Amino acid sequence: MSIGGSDLDRAITQLRACRPIPENQVRELCYKARELLIEEGNVVGVDAPVTICGDIHGQFHDLMELFRVGGDVPDTNYLFMGDFVDRGFYSLESFLLLLCLKVRYPDRITLIRGNHESRQITTVYGFYDECLRKYGSANVWRYCCEVFDYLALGALVSGAATALEPTDGPIADNVTVDLPDPEQDIEIETLNANGEVMFRYARNGDSQSSATSQGNSNAASSSPVGPTPSRSGAAGTGATSSVNGSARNDTGAILCVHGGLSPLIDSIDKIRLLDRKQEVPHEGAMCDLLWSDPDEIDGWGLSPRGAGFLFGADIVKCFNYKNDLSLIARAHQLVMEGFKEMFDSTIVTVWSAPNYCYRCGNVAAILELGEDGSNAGFVRRSNGDRAGGGRGWILGSNAGPNGTSNEENRRLSSVLGESMQRPRDGPGRRYRVFEAAPQDSRGMPAKKPVADYFL
Amino acid sequence: MDNNQIPNLKTLLGRGRGGGLRGRARGGYGSSTQGDEAVRDNAVRGTDQDAAGSRVSCVEFGYLDDPYAKFFATQSSTRRLPLLNRGTYVRTSAIDQLVDHFLTTPTSTQKQIISLGAGTDTRYFRLRDKYPNEPLVYHEIDFATNTTAKLQSIRRHPSLQDRIGDSHFALKPTADSYHSASYNIHALDLRSLTTSSPPPLENLSPTLPTLILSEMCLIYLHPTTVSGILNRLLTHYVSPRTPASLVLYEPIFPHDAFGRTMISNLSTRNIHLPTLTAYPGLVDQRARLRQYGFGDGCRAADTKFIWRVWVSEEEKERVAGLEMLDELEELELLLRHYCVAWGWRDGEGEGEDVFSRAWSEVREQDGG
Repeated sequence: MSIGGSDLDRAITQLRACRPIPENQVRELCYKARELLIEEGNVVGVDAPVTICGDIHGQFHDLMELFRVGGDVPDTNYLFMGDFVDRGFYSLESFLLLLCLKVRYPDRITLIRGNHESRQITTVYGFYDECLRKYGSANVWRYCCEVFDYLALGALVSGAATALEPTDGPIADNVTVDLPDPEQDIEIETLNANGEVMFRYARNGDSQSSATSQGNSNAASSSPVGPTPSRSGAAGTGATSSVNGSARNDTGAILCVHGGLSPLIDSIDKIRLLDRKQEVPHEGAMCDLLWSDPDEIDGWGLSPRGAGFLFGADIVKCFNYKNDLSLIARAHQLVMEGFKEMFDSTIVTVWSAPNYCYRCGNVAAILELGEDGSNAGFVRRSNGDRAGGGRGWILGSNAGPNGTSNEENRRLSSVLGESMQRPRDGPGRRYRVFEAAPQDSRGMPAKKPVADYFL
Repeated sequence: MDNNQIPNLKTLLGRGRGGGLRGRARGGYGSSTQGDEAVRDNAVRGTDQDAAGSRVSCVEFGYLDDPYAKFFATQSSTRRLPLLNRGTYVRTSAIDQLVDHFLTTPTSTQKQIISLGAGTDTRYFRLRDKYPNEPLVYHEIDFATNTTAKLQSIRRHPSLQDRIGDSHFALKPTADSYHSASYNIHALDLRSLTTSSPPPLENLSPTLPTLILSEMCLIYLHPTTVSGILNRLLTHYVSPRTPASLVLYEPIFPHDAFGRTMISNLSTRNIHLPTLTAYPGLVDQRARLRQYGFGDGCRAADTKFIWRVWVSEEEKERVAGLEMLDELEELELLLRHYCVAWGWRDGEGEGEDVFSRAWSEVREQDGG
């Protein structure tokens, strides 16, 4: 048989109900997917608007919740940053559904590779066992692994707007923070699963303060912080000053990658040159992109995971500057609040598996980037303090660690030069936060979660 | 499909879980019927095989050296994820360290260990190998179903009998207790120790310096029951003047997202942890140890701290090299939610201040 057209739609319907499709259909689907993926570069170009998602890990019911919260395919464009499989009970259904959607709507959905899309890791963390259990043989696992080898290593999102289109969602009940003036441009907005606004943060563009910082590398440390104490977490530093106070509404591109950076990669073009069509190696650039983590260190560090590296703010800022990026979006690390911005909002971790492993109690998030041009008449106002995205800003706390670090700014100015302290404005970022779907939902088979504890 | 056609699964929550809540409400503490209590006791007994499987997994992957673990596990699949292996390793080696310090601190007398809810624990056998010349009196207390199964395993495996040093290990297959000068298995429900006529514990010395171990055991009982049991052990079975100590291994922080999820997950398995909410943090654990009368030292540390501080760098490197561990954030979360707490009284009689000498250098975690 061949999977295409109505067969494909049937398969999608079946998978949406969390029912696996027959082995021969999987084979056909994987073949089609490979044909499609082989045409993609190592770094896929993606145009905004797009919704960026982190780890899924076989939590099928939560993937359905993600689509409910974020909009369905093909109405919403999605970019999944890998780790579709392992740990959860429905890796197979989750991955095959995403793959079906990819084949059905290739321009609407982008899948890149995570460190779990690997033969070695899936034999330890569950996907292999799941395939064996559901099909009685390892064939389906093998087909899927062949697809893994063709998944892109990263994606580059361009055309994202600097300011969010305001949502008309109501304000969530428990929000006590003053929301910014509706006239102001929205840089960050957090919505709950019902579309209610939990947090909104204005981008207070200020030509004056950025002009000051231009001629004075120390201006960064002396520039005012957020306008109200409740927003001090998003304390701006010179590091996120806007450029020259000129009216501009474009933003640098956003690099999406599962893990992070590699000491062997200093430009996106170097990622493009890798030979990706292989099992994830134990070391080297490809391995690092899928395994590394940002950390509060200087430069590079050894990763406790045994693969990849740790990298500090200086590495990220340098990489973003050199590659004209405004943001790196990555997944790979569980964050209890669903997302976490670090290093003056130059990198964000997005985590999309709520109550990870049915044990961690975390919420999940997806990141929506709007399309540029929606506010073409945008003119930056000079209305006071410049307060860009914060350092280590996370949902819920609204408080970043320690505010501005003069020392870091000094260090950066010595390492990177003063111009490096003023990276591009980040894109407007709308985070939708959601909780786990109940496991006993009707109409979908669900194994009772049995999370291991020490007993 | 338009996304508003996707069913909001949360709307099903009320109905799905309502039944469960009603069920729990009926079985609340104090009003629980016999049936509910039996179900709970069974669930608690069942946790022992969970621990046995985890131990075997650790041994198979090289985390722990325990040739006896496999004789007791009955689960068909014992492979655990790397983070669980790491957690079991930290738990076991932490308690091993405290026991080692105790046993290697010189005293003029023998020493005594009482392991509560010991189940399939292999510590006695491992200690016999490690300290063949140490005069030690070891007691294990557990439900009769668990002790019977343990004795059957010992009967089946000559290497276990060898360690007991009893060539005449000729017990009836139905025996649930075993007694010798060095190793004793007592089949009883710990709650019976608090009754007005507490059962005798054969070979239990009232005067030997005594270490009481509770690895995920007292946590399943009500705080007042726990106090009652410890009071009996520390004043009735062991003389109030005897040097004595308690080492606890149990979860902490029930009120954060991870803790709430743990409580709800375990309750679906009929496992309840009454003392967890009574002693939610390290501070509470120390205070509770003081309450039990351990006036000479009350310390606590979470297992994340223990991994970081108690485990040597070489050993960390060895353990980290055993399996690729991708679950770092989860591991940290897990390790922060379990603690070891240890308290002691130095007593007056023989072996005076053995615990102060043994544990003065063992570092605890600040605050918590």
